[in-house]
Amino acid sequence: MFETIVPLLIDGLANAALIFLVAVGLTLVFSVLRVLNVAHGSFYSIGAYAAASLGLWVVGAGLPGWLTFASLPLSAALVAVIVGPLIERTLIRWAYGKSEAVQILVTFGLFLILEDLQRIVFGVDSFYEDTPVQLLGSIEIGGVVYLTYQLVLILLAAALLVGLKLFIGHTRIGKLIAAVVADREISQAMGINTNRVFMIAFSLGVFLAALGGALTVPQAGVSPGLGADTMVLAFAVAAIGGLGKIEGAAVAAVIVALARVLAIYFAPELDAVAPYLVMLLVLLVRPYGLFGSATTRKI
Amino acid sequence: MLTVSSLNVSLAGAKILRDVTFTLKPGATTVLIGRNGAGKTTLLRAIMGLTPAESGSAALDGRQLLPLPAFARAPAGIGYAPEDRRLIPEFSVEDNIILPGQALKLPQAEIKSRLEKVYALLPELHTMRARPGNGVSGGQGKMVALGRALMVAEKLLMLDEPFQGLAPALALDYARTLSRLRETMRDLTLLITESSPNLLKSVADETMLIERGAVTLQSPDAEAA
Repeated sequence: MFETIVPLLIDGLANAALIFLVAVGLTLVFSVLRVLNVAHGSFYSIGAYAAASLGLWVVGAGLPGWLTFASLPLSAALVAVIVGPLIERTLIRWAYGKSEAVQILVTFGLFLILEDLQRIVFGVDSFYEDTPVQLLGSIEIGGVVYLTYQLVLILLAAALLVGLKLFIGHTRIGKLIAAVVADREISQAMGINTNRVFMIAFSLGVFLAALGGALTVPQAGVSPGLGADTMVLAFAVAAIGGLGKIEGAAVAAVIVALARVLAIYFAPELDAVAPYLVMLLVLLVRPYGLFGSATTRKI
Repeated sequence: MLTVSSLNVSLAGAKILRDVTFTLKPGATTVLIGRNGAGKTTLLRAIMGLTPAESGSAALDGRQLLPLPAFARAPAGIGYAPEDRRLIPEFSVEDNIILPGQALKLPQAEIKSRLEKVYALLPELHTMRARPGNGVSGGQGKMVALGRALMVAEKLLMLDEPFQGLAPALALDYARTLSRLRETMRDLTLLITESSPNLLKSVADETMLIERGAVTLQSPDAEAA
């Protein structure tokens, strides 16, 4: 049993690490902008396409293979810097303060546009670029062989969780973000340019999602529909953790991963629905998620 | 200094401020007295850009404020302490006080020196500097809000009903603090709102009355009705 379930667990946690990056961005954007961005998953697939393109270019140009590692965060950063401010300034800002129905319609429209744009630009073919996985190879622990890349993903997500908490709690920009989350109006009275904070938080959310997408390319490639699948899963994770809670997203991602592992092991036909069963159960008992509450606004 | 002219504000169809016109004397403490619902809070909020004005203007040293976004007041040298304190609950008292300084990207040394001044004026804030914003009493919260406003109040300090809900001992403390503030920062212009005419008699250089959204000027020695 041990030899079967541990590799499943590592695989599940590696996927949880990527979903966490999407969910935590979703939750961050929601708590700062108070807009639930249905199109958030598209940044995951855009990040994946960007990383695949850049990675294939690096390999095609005959550049050293280790450069493909650098191409992963670099493509996410490019997506964040170009797409983040553009979409926030031109589209999302019109949804501020509007009813949830309007916000969902606006961001759903954005999702449809982004999905079609990706098909126009990248076509319907799948892309694979797995140099980083090849270079890292595998390690054997206790008689079981693991992809080193997956272990790195898990550690990276944990490091990002810690880094994000430190950023919010201890940097100037982080403090301004936390203040805007807690009290938008008094933040303005204290001199905080909330529009700028919205743009920064949104772009940070885009970066995290695009990074998740970029990091998935070496192990799974990228194909059409990736954004939609990821969005649904990330939303379930954010809802389970409690919208607006960074550590909630992390814990929920792990719970969802465990649920899927158990499903695959005991009832494989339940694999796909396991995350939503967990969401259903959690929300029935705690409607605001594991870490959420009706009143507090906090990251 | 601050010049407000023909300021009109309506909230949900109801007229809250009617043709409010006044000029604050530079370096003076002006107390605005009015009953609850008279429009004191709305006046300060309109000046701060938090409540939109229908018509009229507000200018600080000749610079029009109302067309500017709300966040432009603090850099213009206006400090504001709202009636309901509005501290950031999860920030420590000290982080609450320095927040406007960080928002304005003041150099660390400048934030530090302003913080020292705030602590010198309000030593009790230094004692509770590590406590969270939601771990202080309402009255202590008013002191924190005052300290936070002082972080950026280079020209104008606006305090909305600072005495409201204060225990008598704290109210006395607060009044003493205002007197000390007056002595140490002579150039600072103060606008304080209050519902009771008697509480601020000792610190007021000027008194204005607000009734059903209309402001009337009064000389400092006139009997407040």
